[in-house]
Amino acid sequence: MSSIFWGMAMPELRPENGAFFQFPFSFFRVSSSVHVSNPLSPEAELDLREQLKRCSPETVEGALRYRTTGAPDGVGLVVIGIIERFLDPEVRPRLHAGGDGLRIFDDLGIDSLTMVEVVMLVEDVLQIKINNDELRDLRTIGDVKTYINCRIRGLPLPERPVHVHVAEIMALMPQQPPFLFVQEATLRSDEARGVYKIAGDEFFLEGHFKNNPVLPASIMLEALGQLAVLFLLKTKRAELTAPVSPSKIFFTACDGVRCQRICKAGDLLTLVVKPKRIKHPLGMFEGHITCGNEKVAFAEEICLTFDYAAADEAATVEGNGHAHAENGAASPTPPAARILQPPAGGAERGTARL
Amino acid sequence: MPKVVITGLGFICPIGNDQTAVVDSLRRLRHGLSLYPRFDAPNIPVKVAGLVKDFSIESPDPEDWKFPDQYKIRRETLRGFAPHVLFGHCALTQAIADAKLAPDDVSNADTGLFTASAGSAMMLHHNLTRLEKHGVMRCSPLGIVASVVGTLSYNLVAAFKILGSSCGFASACASSGHALGFAWEEVAAGRQKRMLVVGGEDGNLETVLPFAGMRALSLNPDPNTASRPFDRERDGFVGAGGACAVVLETEEEAVRRGAAIYCEMPGWGMASDGYNVAISHPDGSGLAQAMRLALRRSGLQPGDVDYINAHATSTPIGDTSELRALKTVFGVNPSDGPAISSTKALTGHGLSLASILEAGLCAAAIRHGFTPGSAHIQNLDPEAEGLNIIRTNLPEGPRVAMTNSSGFGGANVSLVLQATS
Repeated sequence: MSSIFWGMAMPELRPENGAFFQFPFSFFRVSSSVHVSNPLSPEAELDLREQLKRCSPETVEGALRYRTTGAPDGVGLVVIGIIERFLDPEVRPRLHAGGDGLRIFDDLGIDSLTMVEVVMLVEDVLQIKINNDELRDLRTIGDVKTYINCRIRGLPLPERPVHVHVAEIMALMPQQPPFLFVQEATLRSDEARGVYKIAGDEFFLEGHFKNNPVLPASIMLEALGQLAVLFLLKTKRAELTAPVSPSKIFFTACDGVRCQRICKAGDLLTLVVKPKRIKHPLGMFEGHITCGNEKVAFAEEICLTFDYAAADEAATVEGNGHAHAENGAASPTPPAARILQPPAGGAERGTARL
Repeated sequence: MPKVVITGLGFICPIGNDQTAVVDSLRRLRHGLSLYPRFDAPNIPVKVAGLVKDFSIESPDPEDWKFPDQYKIRRETLRGFAPHVLFGHCALTQAIADAKLAPDDVSNADTGLFTASAGSAMMLHHNLTRLEKHGVMRCSPLGIVASVVGTLSYNLVAAFKILGSSCGFASACASSGHALGFAWEEVAAGRQKRMLVVGGEDGNLETVLPFAGMRALSLNPDPNTASRPFDRERDGFVGAGGACAVVLETEEEAVRRGAAIYCEMPGWGMASDGYNVAISHPDGSGLAQAMRLALRRSGLQPGDVDYINAHATSTPIGDTSELRALKTVFGVNPSDGPAISSTKALTGHGLSLASILEAGLCAAAIRHGFTPGSAHIQNLDPEAEGLNIIRTNLPEGPRVAMTNSSGFGGANVSLVLQATS
């Protein structure tokens, strides 16, 4: 979610930014007095009901219960109820049907301004403050639930994910258009999420199939493999003792692949890979793809080989995301062809079953 | 130079919320003024206003508003609206349908949108009050967009996905005349093939009542006589709200699309009084000059004009100035003098809306073949002697109509419309 619109920064939600922004008591006092009854004054209850007048009755009751008892159970539902109130009626079923992976912007159409409205109401109702930079990390309903749960229970906030945009992806990756299938990614130490939208003009759709353009299953698998490549290049894991060279990552094997849905032009695919085991020179990942709430494909195991960057290369690789420009220029092999070449001793170790 | 024609009209105003209703009101000279409940207080000396019917827009929260079901507006679009933006959205929707424009005809590099609005005093008041009471971080993120003078432009340009020229005009009661005039320039100069023009006004207590402080409003509590331009007993204007939208395009483009043409807009003129911030020049010198320039730009002589929709708001000073300006340009007792009326007797004075609303009424009169009269005159102001103020409708439409507007600062605009043969 961009915090910039029409040249103006999104209003800073930091408490230190204004005397206007003081609450009668801090969030932490609320959480430390969990389960202590703290009845609302009739005025405060009326105020709360007025603020939530366009929310479901369950949301209102949940909010009143939280404000009265401080009990954290059900707060997640209150927040979902607040989000629901800002959705167009035709989008609401999506919120209820979708899981934690549902994206706030792409799937629900909540833009950064609506998010400000959501946050203001959540802050008022739960009496917490949400910082602008924390807000940027909340991309899915699952992120929101986790965030609120941590805040309400006084738990440490989850690890902050790294968002990688298309320009950086292109700079980092050995694969390049028209053979790059990760357009945006969010990386955590134990998971990478990526997005690929099928534009419809991809070269391979012309022949796959005759008069019936369908995304090839091999490309789905390729997309998951590419996301795993990005994970190895960008994520700092303890098992990786040095920066990984983008020119030394290759596919070796995959196992247990199932495809569940045909995908066509316009479909927005969510790619997810999770590392199962990383030990030089192999990285094993589990991967799956969804489209909206529907399962698209699943791979029990995708195996890549990788090697570390040479000392002179490492500085470039580690320094920023521009390693590939140098590598690509030096490579005699076009990037698109490179992943198809088996590395020495790599392909023999596994068998792809598609 | 391309000919500029009108191909679409949309109305949300005190005398009707579509062209059929508006024309019916004009034909019957039926006014749309009424007692305004929010004026029903002992310390408010004004009682009558020109309110839009079938819209409930008293709340500063757009999600509380009620409006006819035919207009579908999503929450994320509506949340940045002021009341007159809602009126404008509905009027523009009508005008686009009337001109038979497809979405691609509206959203392209050759189509622009000009607007006229003074912003929303109510929304500004609400947001500043909230800011003081609850702090700026508890104000609507779109409070600015909904409040300030550009609100009509910002919202409609985004909502209708306008890709061409866009701009908002603020010259008080001449605003929407300027918007139409400069839209004409845009098309006539070949910069745009089509311009959508919208003027709007909240027309609520916050907009209208402050004019009582300058003694400009009628204190007459009778809706049937409060607005009576050119009457000897007139005592001020009646504030009104609403919106009007007009589609201007090149004749070539209209013919290519097979659109029905209301009339041509052959030109316009503007000039300033250089006199007083709020009082019109006693002789109407700026307005007379605006009319002369409009005729010259249109290639017409005073004798060519069949009908003048006067600015005449029913204020003692303003109407007199305009009568003098009219005599200056058209002479006294001319053999071929134009018929003159002020439709503000029926609509009230819509401020930023006024000029485009009256241009819209002239275009409708040309299309429907009648000339609207000046209602509510019991005793004609002696100043009008030598001018043909029509008190009832004429059964034929004008071939050439002129509509005048004057605003604060002494800004005057005169627009010319001409029937196509």
